[in-house]
Amino acid sequence: MLGNQPSLSCYFLPLLQYLRPGYLPGLYRARLSSKYWQTADMLHLTLKVSPRWQGFMPGQHLYLTIAHNGRYVSRPFSICSPLSDWHSKRQISLCCKVSANGQFTPLLPTLASHSRVNISAAQGDFCWSQPAKSSVFIAAGAGITPIAAMLLSQRHWLAPVSLYYRVRGKENAALLQELKQLQKRNNLFQLYLSDSRTEPAADFTRQIIQAAGDNQFYLCGPAGFMQQITTALNAHGVASGRINSEQFGLAAALPAPVSDDAALSATFFQAGQAYQLAVLPQHSLLQSVEQQGLTPSFGCRMGVCLQCVCEKVSGQVRDMRSGLLSGHGSEQIQLCISQPVTELVIKL
Amino acid sequence: MALTTAQFNQLQQELDAIKQQVQQQLGADDARYIRRVLVMQRILAISGRILLLLGFITPWLWALGVLALALAKILDNMEIGHNVLHGQYDWMNDPLLHSKRYQWDIACDAGSWQRTHNFEHHSYTNIIGLDRDFGYGLLRLSNDFRWRLRNLWQALTYVLLSVLFQWGVSYHELAAQRVFFGKKKADRHSQISDSALKKAFFGKGARQLIKDYVFFPLIAGPLWLWVLSGNALANLIRNLWTSTVIFCGHFTADIHTFSAEQCKNESRGQWYYRQMLGSSNFTGPTWLHILTGHLSCQIEHHLFPDIPARHYPAMAPKVQAVAANFGIPYNSGSFLRQYGSVLWRIVRYSFPGGAKAMAV
Repeated sequence: MLGNQPSLSCYFLPLLQYLRPGYLPGLYRARLSSKYWQTADMLHLTLKVSPRWQGFMPGQHLYLTIAHNGRYVSRPFSICSPLSDWHSKRQISLCCKVSANGQFTPLLPTLASHSRVNISAAQGDFCWSQPAKSSVFIAAGAGITPIAAMLLSQRHWLAPVSLYYRVRGKENAALLQELKQLQKRNNLFQLYLSDSRTEPAADFTRQIIQAAGDNQFYLCGPAGFMQQITTALNAHGVASGRINSEQFGLAAALPAPVSDDAALSATFFQAGQAYQLAVLPQHSLLQSVEQQGLTPSFGCRMGVCLQCVCEKVSGQVRDMRSGLLSGHGSEQIQLCISQPVTELVIKL
Repeated sequence: MALTTAQFNQLQQELDAIKQQVQQQLGADDARYIRRVLVMQRILAISGRILLLLGFITPWLWALGVLALALAKILDNMEIGHNVLHGQYDWMNDPLLHSKRYQWDIACDAGSWQRTHNFEHHSYTNIIGLDRDFGYGLLRLSNDFRWRLRNLWQALTYVLLSVLFQWGVSYHELAAQRVFFGKKKADRHSQISDSALKKAFFGKGARQLIKDYVFFPLIAGPLWLWVLSGNALANLIRNLWTSTVIFCGHFTADIHTFSAEQCKNESRGQWYYRQMLGSSNFTGPTWLHILTGHLSCQIEHHLFPDIPARHYPAMAPKVQAVAANFGIPYNSGSFLRQYGSVLWRIVRYSFPGGAKAMAV
């Protein structure tokens, strides 16, 4: 109240930031201690993290925030390093897939060593909940990161575990070195590497189903891949309760109906001003408004972080992940995963 | 209107190009600038409040404290608050500088300000009957309004409004909605209920009063009177300054007004044209621009309300060149000349008659 800020610490924040750059409310400071390319497009970052950070459960992810050209941008990444690194050295590692036409990940290779970044508290409930039971881990591409953290963190192995790791080209298998070492040390752990260039998806799925037994399943990969595996497992009598999974990316985006690709008109209120814009049904609302010069707040751009939530006053939108249609009335929507279906009125 | 449709479209393209050029430059420099202003504001506010306590050593320290606190409030309201609430820094994604979350050191609730100022005033600038900022419903500033007896003493009303400016601003939306007095207007729609308006008005107002006139004097103990009077004086200086700056933006000698029919189905080019004719600049050194929140470049601010204000002085010559090209008057002058013409306007239209400001 005293400084017209939500809290007194927010009032002093500009001074604090001036003295200790990189201090952000609700986030933790970290320093980039090393970075190297795991594969051609996977960048491995090791961060030295502030001791105020509460730690993590292997399998969890966090938001990495960096300041780029005056603006804060953030994306979620799974932690890929074992818990012991954090306990002994206050270090964690992230394995980030750099996509050339992305807005965030191409910035990562340009980070200088020792540069300052911010991380959020670890979150997510994708964890190895029953290590005493025999388990099957299935990872595809960058989906290996949370699974690697779980496997590499485990100290006392109680039951056999196998990992089916599917990659496009064996040279693109991130964290393979560490996992192979684990296999050498530990005879309860089996690693199966599958190359999607040589092994058809059907063969891969068949292998998994043969190994089903009464195992627990842990899945992480692109949405399409996970859907396929889950459906196959369910068809073979594996109850959904035995399948734990973590999805990333916005790959599930259902194609918008092609028939109505004409632009729709939408009214956006930002800071009390009204803006009349044409929005395309095949783009997310966030994309459309940014292209036309508005600046709503945003974060992960894939429907996870809820920073772009705003009020839809009227009109209908489609959830790009599920294809579900919204109601027509006033409700909260996420701009990054909403496509327009009808004319819209939205308060940014 | 004076220009043809093709000319209006041309005007829009040229002004859009100026805007786009600046938009592409936005980046680390702007972030560094606004954070530096924020640091300066905090240092002035904190040192001002400490200096007020040292009045018992010598009243000069107290006077310095008043000045520092007043400057802090002016920076917070003008260069930071007003501009952040316009969404000028939303692109930074900084929770501290986002238009949705910012709250400022003034009696007016930020949400209410965004509805009356950002939306009403900036959309309907100088349209008689729609932009209530033209005279604030209190002053007759052109012969577009019928003369009433109360206009006779409107110079006094103006002084009172300036002294209590933050409360005028804070009450502005409630006056429009006739929350306490008067009959509701049938053609006025509000996004927000009367009770929510009252809650925001009393809530924010009480918080400001308690802060400056109860809390800080209380913790000063025996020095409470120094602190209380210092806070009151700082608020007064801020009120007078903000009111003066804002009056120079739209009520100078050569300002134009518009009628609602004229502006129906207006194109973007026509909107730009109205903003240029309805606003006026004043010149001065950089520090003056900063203390006005760059409202000294009111024309540029009205053309590009969401561009970070520190760019306005550099945009001004380009806008002026465009205006000259189309023969659109560009209203600028020294601070004293512009303010003098505002005072003359207030006095002149206290009496019946006078010229209409309506653009034809």
